[in-house]
Amino acid sequence: MINLILALLSGVVGALLTALIPAKNDRLRTTVVFAALASALIFSWRTALLVFAGAELELTFGLAGLTWRLAPDPLGAMFVLIASTLWLVAGLYSAGYMAGKRNLKSYYSFFLLANSITLGVACAGNLVALYLFYELLTLSTYPLVIHERSAEAVKAGAKYIIYSLSGAGALLAAIVITHALTGHSDFTSVPVLAGQTGKGLNWLLALFIAGFGVKAAIMPLHRWLPEAMVAPTPISALLHAVAVVYSGVYGIIRVVYTVFGPELMSSLTFAKALPWIASFTILVGVMIATRQDVLKKRLAYHTISQLSYILLGAFTLQPLGLSGAMLHMISYSLLKVTLFFCAGIIAEQTGETVVSRMGGVGWSLPKTMAAFGVASLGMVGMLPLNTFWSKYYLMRGGVASGSWPLALVLITSGIINAVCFIPTVVAAFKGESQGRVHLESGSSVSLMLVPTVLLAGISLLIGLWPGLVWDGVQAVVNSFF
Amino acid sequence: MLLLLLVLLPLVGALALLFDKKRAWNIPLLTCSLVLALAIFGLKPVFGGGTISYTLNLPGPFAPVLQADPLTAIFVILAALLWFAVAIYAPKYMVHEGKVKFFELVTLLTYSAVLGVFLAGDLVTMLLFFELMTITSFFWVVHRWNREAIRAGYFYLFFSIIGGLLIALAIVFLGASAGLPLPLGAGRLTPSNPTLFAWAIGLLLAGFGIKGGMAPLHVWLPHAHSNAPTPGSALLSGLLIKVGAYGLIRVGELAGWGITLGAGTAWLSTTITLLGVLTMLIGVAAALLQGDGKRLLAYHSVSQMGYIILGIGVGLYLGPDGGLGLVGSVYHIVNHALFKATLFLGVGVIYIHTKETDLYKLGGLWRRFPVTAALMFLAALGIAGAPGLNGYASKTVLHHAVSAAAASGETWLIWVERLFNLVGIGTAASFAKLFYLIFLGKPTELEVAENESPRLQIAMGVLAAVMLTIGLAPQLFPNVLGLPAAESLGFAKLEPIPGSLFWNFTDLKGIAITLALGIGVCWAGLKSGAFHWHPPLWLSLEGLGGKVYLAVAFLWTKGIALYHSLTKGLGRAGRFLAGKVSAAYSDLVNPKDGAALTGISATAALLILTLLALIAWYTMINPVFNVVKIVLQW
Repeated sequence: MINLILALLSGVVGALLTALIPAKNDRLRTTVVFAALASALIFSWRTALLVFAGAELELTFGLAGLTWRLAPDPLGAMFVLIASTLWLVAGLYSAGYMAGKRNLKSYYSFFLLANSITLGVACAGNLVALYLFYELLTLSTYPLVIHERSAEAVKAGAKYIIYSLSGAGALLAAIVITHALTGHSDFTSVPVLAGQTGKGLNWLLALFIAGFGVKAAIMPLHRWLPEAMVAPTPISALLHAVAVVYSGVYGIIRVVYTVFGPELMSSLTFAKALPWIASFTILVGVMIATRQDVLKKRLAYHTISQLSYILLGAFTLQPLGLSGAMLHMISYSLLKVTLFFCAGIIAEQTGETVVSRMGGVGWSLPKTMAAFGVASLGMVGMLPLNTFWSKYYLMRGGVASGSWPLALVLITSGIINAVCFIPTVVAAFKGESQGRVHLESGSSVSLMLVPTVLLAGISLLIGLWPGLVWDGVQAVVNSFF
Repeated sequence: MLLLLLVLLPLVGALALLFDKKRAWNIPLLTCSLVLALAIFGLKPVFGGGTISYTLNLPGPFAPVLQADPLTAIFVILAALLWFAVAIYAPKYMVHEGKVKFFELVTLLTYSAVLGVFLAGDLVTMLLFFELMTITSFFWVVHRWNREAIRAGYFYLFFSIIGGLLIALAIVFLGASAGLPLPLGAGRLTPSNPTLFAWAIGLLLAGFGIKGGMAPLHVWLPHAHSNAPTPGSALLSGLLIKVGAYGLIRVGELAGWGITLGAGTAWLSTTITLLGVLTMLIGVAAALLQGDGKRLLAYHSVSQMGYIILGIGVGLYLGPDGGLGLVGSVYHIVNHALFKATLFLGVGVIYIHTKETDLYKLGGLWRRFPVTAALMFLAALGIAGAPGLNGYASKTVLHHAVSAAAASGETWLIWVERLFNLVGIGTAASFAKLFYLIFLGKPTELEVAENESPRLQIAMGVLAAVMLTIGLAPQLFPNVLGLPAAESLGFAKLEPIPGSLFWNFTDLKGIAITLALGIGVCWAGLKSGAFHWHPPLWLSLEGLGGKVYLAVAFLWTKGIALYHSLTKGLGRAGRFLAGKVSAAYSDLVNPKDGAALTGISATAALLILTLLALIAWYTMINPVFNVVKIVLQW
């Protein structure tokens, strides 16, 4: 229990301290930030491992006439692990990327605050708590989106807020209805709505999906995501490829498996349409991505597509599909953060943000482009990379649910992914290596390069030995089936 | 352990090479010799019956399995032999291409991956090494990083990636229809869902067909093989495409060797046979028209893969009597690897001394390179199928299998046999052309450097010696190695092949006629200039592929534009509605003069009515969702 509380509080305390430290004192701030991130990481892992080992953690208190509940289960623990780990990695990268930039105080303080809130989303034990953290996440990450304070950033921020709050509105309505139907909304091993009947449940499900779907960027609710790419790269990498969007994905998986439950879901008409909505997003997302010339926008549209892989796995309502979804949650986050980190290094070191002008940069940034290449192969779903396994289980889940075309969708998407990323990597090594300046030396570059290469390496390792994460994945699956 | 060691040794070699600064040792050659010795002595017991297998017991969903049966052993030893020869050849050659160390590194990594593919004990392990092989060998193709090489690299990479994805999909389908795991070397699968199983087999056929250069999926091959540095080309043509053939043999195993295929997979044998013939024809026709030595050899790889694929198809078609087809196919894989690698290495020798691979600019070089010329002559005779060399041996076995199939009297099979002979003539013609244009004819005007190192010829000589041995004792290989392989794949005990199968008047007469006709065609082609004919672009698959590519790109763009305009329309509608709502709201707060009577504008009234109607309708169709009840409860 104490682990859970400390994990949640690390970020908040760190954020407060960071806000109090004078803006000029870089060294102290860095110390505080890393202390907070490290403590969040340690206590998160302890919490998660306890949960995977079968411990039931629960914390309930009444406030404002409502019951608030924190109770991480294996699914939440999985999210906690991913978020806290990548937060530290992104912190390292930020130390290199943000060095010498202005407004660091606000950056780091909201960076830490968002950490706490994301862990809160993961650990929420009922719909009320989940809703609170979900809303707070929007508010705490808004300052990070508009960090540059340019006109473009402010506009993107407005779009982010409008989309997120509208989604939250739908969510609130859905939660109210659920509460009215059942009188509680606690996440337990029995789905909240178990035993309910009626066609209206289809509409309730749609309301939930629309609410969480905004952050999970299901098409056509995705438009805020590409615009939010004006944020600094570590933020794009962490929040817009993993933490914020995963909170939407996590919410949907919660709704499907804890609020409705696989049994009730399989009787709903709308639930049968969901895999196809996800398939649409998968294909159209990556097709649009391929035509984006600004690298970060390409990555953003690609995120939209990949998030729906996870949703597709969850929507198959099969243990195999859910295994795939969990594996993809892990694998995709590692690789996508790598891709964003590479994009950041390229932009910082060469000033190039447009894909069509990146020909030849590979000779100046060989390690970066090697990591980019590894991650690209991963996005295709080729074997030495971890994403093969997620895709493999997603496809098996699709076939097991009786719809073999879902497997075909994933294969097609893999081919389009190849078209999307491979040419960038190959073109980066066009021309001669002679006469190119080597741009990978210096402390701030190393600070960016180390986490990038590390993540690519971990992805390879998991690819060769998926057993590393298999127990966690199975714990999640077993908690629902 | 032995199997793991075989796969890991090249990796260790690569690591050593990476950290070796002084270059005191020739690490690639050392590694390759070690692996060759280990492969020959370690895998010998396999032919006596029984298999070796090794499972790396990792917890989790993936525990790599390695296994060796006679078929595996043949491929592993073949790979080891080829890599050994190339390791002798490459250091001298690559000085002329640059980036020697990187090339050697890639070659060792590919070696490990290739051995892994052959030694894999289940389909997933095989896919792992298959993909690794694609990635590492890609660096051979783009070694020069110029425009042409990058284009070839794209072709290679995209086709290979698609092949890998198709195999992955096939694994999923196989798992769903026949259960997991999917061991190799354990006989055929019994599917619970025959339709899905048939789809899976079809996908595997396409996936391995891409790697094996099977028409019409061979488009990438000539580009890739002619752009890689010569040692890379030799290995690509000699071995990497054989991975595709190996895969097809294993696919046959999943469907069932040595039995008459059931209703669900009966199409497989005819499809493979027809695709094999198509591959032979397209390859040889295109090869005849090539003016570039390496491209000619690359197209011949396609054509010779056709023989191999045909053998597999006929072997499957004949069911229990198909042993000769399978054995001939494996035999031809070995022989083609030997002579094609020798030919590539020979063309490479000419290239580094003249900087030219265009045949029409070369000529009369036998005086300057007598040893190379002699070795090339042997290899050319081998591929053309002259008796006494290895090509004759395997083509004869294949020919007997095809004749056996044609004896069934089916028209299309009779035509297959006729085309088989036709392709033989084309092969003889194009190698007569290759040899004539390089070594005979009028002397070249290019500057020719002195022959710099006998090592290049030694490498070719190693391969040529094996070719001669096989050619002079043609029944040795199939009886000692081929039959155990076929039997381990599911055939009943097969009769040893007698020497008279090769040394009889009919077959010798046949090949004599073929060779004579081939030389005739070559003479006629060179005299008339027919070999300079360039087929129109639309006739080539590249041209057609370009059209398809444009069509896809067009649909892609239009589709996205359509989607964008749809979402934009939705957004506009939403904004319009929102505007109406806010206008109605401001009407409520500041009623216009006309609306002051009620305080509610017409727009607002309409909106509220609509909402009320919605609620009423919703309540009516959903008694459970009694909105009133919900409101009361809250």
